[in-house]
Amino acid sequence: MHTSATCDRLRSAEGDGQERLDQLRNAIEHAAHLLPAQGPITVFIHHNTLHALEDLPFTQAVAQAARTYGCQPYLSEDRYREELSRGRIRTEDLFAVLLDDLGEEADRLIGFLGTRFHVRLSMLQYPLRLAPTAELKWLVAEADALLKFRDDAPAEVRQRTIEQTRHWVMRDLRNGRRPHGGGKSSPESRARAALAELSPRFRLSTAETWNEARWEAFCLHALWRVCQQGVHGVRSFGPPAGPGVRHRDALLAAGGEDSDRLVDELLIRFCAAFLDQGLANWALPGREAGFYRAFCRLYGQRGGPPERWLRGLRREIARGEAAGFGPLESIEESLELLGVSNSDQDEYLSATLLALRGWAGMLWQMEVRGDRVAHAAPRGSLVEFVAVRLILERLALAHVGRESLGYTGPLAGLAQAARARTAPAESVSIEQRTFLVFQLAQVLGWTPADLFRLSKDEWSRLVEELETFSSLERRRVFHVAYERHYRDQTLDAITIRARRPAARPARPRFQAIFCIDEREESFRRHLEERAGDVETFGAAGFFAVPMYYRGIGDAHFVPLCPVVIRPRHYVRETVVAPLEDLHRRRARTRRALGAAWHQVHVGSRSFTAGALLAALVGPLATFPLVARILFPRLTARLRRLAGELIRPPTGTRLQLERIAESPGPAADQSGFRVDEMAESVERLLREIGLTSRFARLIVVAGHGSSSLNNPHGSAYNCGACGGSRGGPNARAFALMANDSRVRQRLAERGLSLPDETVFLGAYHNTCNDSVSYLDLDRLPASHAAEFEEFRRDLDIARELNAHERCRRFESAPLALSGEDALRHVERRAEDLAQPRPECGHATNALCVVGRRARTRGLFLDRRAFLASYDPTQDDGRHTLLTRILAAVVPVCAGISLEYYFSYVDPEGWGCGTKLPHNIVALLGVMDGAASDLRPGLPWQMVEIHEPLRPIFLVETTPVAMHELLDRNADLGRLFRNGWAHLATLDPDAPEIHVFQDGRFERHEPALVDLPEVESSSAWYRGWRDHLGCALVSKGLAPAREPMPRGRERVA
Amino acid sequence: MSVESNSMFAPLGACVVAAPAVLLAVLGLAALGGRRLTESAVNRLTQAAVILGLAAALGVLALMLHLDTRHVTLELGEWVSLPQEHFHFTVKFVFDRLSVPFVVLSYVLCGTIGAFANSYLHRDPGFNRFFAFYAIFLLGMVVSSLAGTIETLFAGWELVGLSSALLVAFFHERPSPVRNGLRVWSVYRVADAAFLIAAVALHHATGAGDFDGLMGADPWPEGHAALSPGQALWIGLLLLVAAAGKSALVPFSGWLPRAMEGPTPSSAVFYGALSVHLGAFLLLRVSPVLEASAWLSVAVVGLGLITAVFAAAASRVQTDIKSALAFASLTQIGIIVVEIGLGLRYLALVHIIGHACLRTLQFLRAPTLLHDLDTLENAIGEHLPQVPGFWERVLPVPVRLWLYRLVLERGYLDGGLNECVVRPFVRLFRWFDRLERRWTDFLARQPSRDSDHVPPPTRFENW
Repeated sequence: MHTSATCDRLRSAEGDGQERLDQLRNAIEHAAHLLPAQGPITVFIHHNTLHALEDLPFTQAVAQAARTYGCQPYLSEDRYREELSRGRIRTEDLFAVLLDDLGEEADRLIGFLGTRFHVRLSMLQYPLRLAPTAELKWLVAEADALLKFRDDAPAEVRQRTIEQTRHWVMRDLRNGRRPHGGGKSSPESRARAALAELSPRFRLSTAETWNEARWEAFCLHALWRVCQQGVHGVRSFGPPAGPGVRHRDALLAAGGEDSDRLVDELLIRFCAAFLDQGLANWALPGREAGFYRAFCRLYGQRGGPPERWLRGLRREIARGEAAGFGPLESIEESLELLGVSNSDQDEYLSATLLALRGWAGMLWQMEVRGDRVAHAAPRGSLVEFVAVRLILERLALAHVGRESLGYTGPLAGLAQAARARTAPAESVSIEQRTFLVFQLAQVLGWTPADLFRLSKDEWSRLVEELETFSSLERRRVFHVAYERHYRDQTLDAITIRARRPAARPARPRFQAIFCIDEREESFRRHLEERAGDVETFGAAGFFAVPMYYRGIGDAHFVPLCPVVIRPRHYVRETVVAPLEDLHRRRARTRRALGAAWHQVHVGSRSFTAGALLAALVGPLATFPLVARILFPRLTARLRRLAGELIRPPTGTRLQLERIAESPGPAADQSGFRVDEMAESVERLLREIGLTSRFARLIVVAGHGSSSLNNPHGSAYNCGACGGSRGGPNARAFALMANDSRVRQRLAERGLSLPDETVFLGAYHNTCNDSVSYLDLDRLPASHAAEFEEFRRDLDIARELNAHERCRRFESAPLALSGEDALRHVERRAEDLAQPRPECGHATNALCVVGRRARTRGLFLDRRAFLASYDPTQDDGRHTLLTRILAAVVPVCAGISLEYYFSYVDPEGWGCGTKLPHNIVALLGVMDGAASDLRPGLPWQMVEIHEPLRPIFLVETTPVAMHELLDRNADLGRLFRNGWAHLATLDPDAPEIHVFQDGRFERHEPALVDLPEVESSSAWYRGWRDHLGCALVSKGLAPAREPMPRGRERVA
Repeated sequence: MSVESNSMFAPLGACVVAAPAVLLAVLGLAALGGRRLTESAVNRLTQAAVILGLAAALGVLALMLHLDTRHVTLELGEWVSLPQEHFHFTVKFVFDRLSVPFVVLSYVLCGTIGAFANSYLHRDPGFNRFFAFYAIFLLGMVVSSLAGTIETLFAGWELVGLSSALLVAFFHERPSPVRNGLRVWSVYRVADAAFLIAAVALHHATGAGDFDGLMGADPWPEGHAALSPGQALWIGLLLLVAAAGKSALVPFSGWLPRAMEGPTPSSAVFYGALSVHLGAFLLLRVSPVLEASAWLSVAVVGLGLITAVFAAAASRVQTDIKSALAFASLTQIGIIVVEIGLGLRYLALVHIIGHACLRTLQFLRAPTLLHDLDTLENAIGEHLPQVPGFWERVLPVPVRLWLYRLVLERGYLDGGLNECVVRPFVRLFRWFDRLERRWTDFLARQPSRDSDHVPPPTRFENW
């Protein structure tokens, strides 16, 4: 009886313990969603940096993230003001945004000083400075803050203020009482009392003799005094500054050392060793045992690091081992020792995780998406990381507490002790509040007389207005205005373009299908300008062929599809039979050379081999060194020539048709069944609306990018191919579409392709603007002439495209010829010293989903993703559109928002400048010698970007779009929470509706007409900055079938 | 040496030194005067200076080969002369088998790095600052390579140290580059102090700082030190400390990976190629001194060997490419020092030159590592083998673990220095500080430090 009760109690205690541990694990895994979600840098997947907060409206989310991560939510105010003075933000946009914001409140008066709208507008237009109290006191007492109006106060305002004050003094103050009224509490008597304490210089009796300067000084002194009186005793409206939850924050505030610095230095080294994918030659011993065990084993031995703060480490580890602690028990104990209460626990844990968030995030990624790397991290690694971190943190805190505060008590009391020593955080002082009103008064022309008339209530309202319209709010308003300008301009342009006919060429000479990527916009435009009867289409660059692909010279299968899809099919490239011998020989040579080169690579860092290499071949390294840096393009060509000898033969085939029943990586499992091929082909053709008027030659072009010395190279590749190069997808698609059995199946499903139509795969390198054609040897002789013609046109388009790109590169002269432009971009791709091989997705801002005919001939400045979609071919449930948007929106919004965040805070969200980057563990980059892992985009990549939320313009009706948003939760969330703008282009009329606050509202274009130029180059040449839209007459399709009021019926 | 050839040596030799000096003057004065030169102007100036200097150096070399001279000196006058004290101070440059290859190497590598940095740092706000530091560095390298007296060498040595520390702290917006830059600077100070004492001792022993006075009249490397073994040992040990600090030999090795904070090209030229070899260069320059004392040679060989073994092991466990390369460099420098200690001077010189070129290329290509490894994997057709080394297989597990931790923690060298040198030093000065405070409080009859009561700065992000 007795024993069983004890057992029960024990069991229940055990159960409680287990529950508590589970709760800890959940808390950590829940906090993990705040960590950066970037995987290994070799497969760079663009995603919304704040994906974790997408459930919140955009503005709330960025404000919350700014607090959680300590990063900037928008550009700086100064930067926005610069844009305002440059005309990039228009004053009327500010008006509109403020009016929207305030609604009815806009006209509410604050005292007699003006409306809320008025006050807020001035706060936007004029920078209000704030400084520490001591500095303000100095400014007032010593500098000329009370002698001269601020420089940016408009001259007439200044003049009027002084003049009125002068009148007021002479009339009301000096001459005693007014004719009637005015007792002791009249404004004048209050003013007299207040001004009496001013310095003797301003004795009112001498006022008649004052010169201009003295009147100005008096005016300002009076203003300062009245503001000071006014704000006195008004309660504070600013956000209370919350202290950090961690002990380290309290210590740091108390002037102690940063304990994180100690912990991080050790932990960075250990994390990198634990996660290393093969950079080090000697891997961490015992890493299979997991993070916590490996750490304990390594640091639990004798004779450890001599640093004072680490002296207790071995004892701690031994104690934990003796008590049989696992990671969770250890965390529990650490929290207890640190005195973290249950209510603070979640916040403490997430703050602990975020302290080294790059590494913690990578650990979590390796844990949950281990399929992407050679050495994954076992489940539970993140929890173990927290356990280790807390042990180290305890040691570091005890050390810093002892060294800088002389504190030796229990850790739980450390934060308290530190706070006791910190001077209380200064709340906003009276001088600071005075200074705000004082500055605003100068630009708005509030005279001392006006201000003396305000009641205490009115003062309170004024201060509230000022303090609640904080920097964050001001920047939000600026940002919305900034976006609004681009949105209006672009939607106007598209409306105007849409008024023009939108016809497909009756008999297209060629058709070309590109990726939706905004870098292909200019390429398509130039091709269209070159040949009026060419038709181009945009589709997500995996061309409906999701697969794992392994090329003839590749070591591994690589997934080629958007990251949300896990492909089922494997495709191998094989060499054609007659070349098999050659291929085997060359593969052997490559293998031998590769192995030898690997030996050199490893050996050059070793003792003996390194010495031999350095002394014997070292001097020879001068040649490649000098050649590659001074003549990158030539060197690259020589290297290519030499490489010819060992390259896999060019005569290869895709093993596209599967023999075995189920797909898999084995040789006979490679490829698709004919049904599956037909499905892919039909899917793509229907989505882009290419179901009739087929040209004889249809080129399908995937894209990718090549560059050197660029750890972020993968981020330049095709986003729809998961950060890889999309050539194989284009090739596979063309092969499938050419297959007669596939065509037969298609015909059975009502999509018949004429026999003379031939598809051809191609690959566009967006960095050097080269295009290679795939399976050209399979092109029927009947189409050779067409192909030659196409190639000629495309070559010219390549040159023009390179030329248009070069306008963005400061190192390319503006007066470059097309040929030189091509040479310039080729050089960039091969230059070791080039941190900006291409501009990537920078400047992207728009995504158009609709018929190309509606936007063709419109210069969109390489800023628009263009997905083809023909609403006239869709069914009543908008099946096609749903499918397209489900693929296009996450990819484009991910890219665009990642650029947004990496631009607004390059250090916080992005990975800063590329120059000190250091590849670590083959997973990511650090800054310099040792730092947190840096996810996000480097500054050089986003430098010319405009941080805007993307606009999605979909050719459909608002009703259809509403239905779609209701049906698809992800899309609905993204658009309803304002992470991206949404607008619809009416399929039948030149009308755009903009989605705002859950409603579609008609967009009224302000522009009447667009500039019209003959060709794109006539519009962009000589200009480096962003350009507005223009109509390009060469690109507007030959209007053989003008679109009437009604819809264009496709045959 | 004929008169006319001598008259040709002077302008050429002067050109070698003057080119970087003028570059530094122009870039430095422009910066001081608040005039911001355009990137292309900076680039053209740098190119002109390097090409001029390199051409002049090659001219000197050609002339020397042509005239078959092995030793040319260029004197810029006597600056201080105290005959009765047997002290004189001259600025003198020497062209010989050691200095000419070294100066040509400096020019070639700096020129290449200059071209590289010109596009790599394009549009960086610190572009002009980088090239100003670069000019200091180039001048320092040239002066130290050609130095004919120990004072001249010290001047060049200081310029190199200054520019290195500034370049480590190039990204001064972040705390860790500044912290690490300061660390490099402190280690250099220790090395400089040793160097300076050695220079004074040398003056004391021989009355002059001239290397030819010290090493005898024979051209390098055949000189013989005019020192007794005892003098040679002490002076040599001091110089060894100086060289160890500059070349990151044990126990100063901790700063080398920390110096990887600057932009990639500066890590390449400074820590991969030229700056770290300067210590070895110093030992080469004074190699006759080593010969004079067997104990000294043993010390040099021992230090080199320890460094090389430690760095080779450390390089194997580094998980970031720049640290791995830094320790790989250190391995070779250790070996070079061993060679010097063994008297293999020509070998050491060739080793330095080959190693500098190879490592520069590797450092510059460091960011392309992922691409390179991918290419290799594709050639081999599988994941690259991560073969454990011999020792990693044969040692018993606990020893292996212990060793792994030792090298992962970089030999505890930083921690050791912190505990054994920095901490006592800081404690001593804090004690002085407390003493002073007590005095001033006593004299003022009240707490005398206003700085104790400065509140932490308020931040205005929300405003």
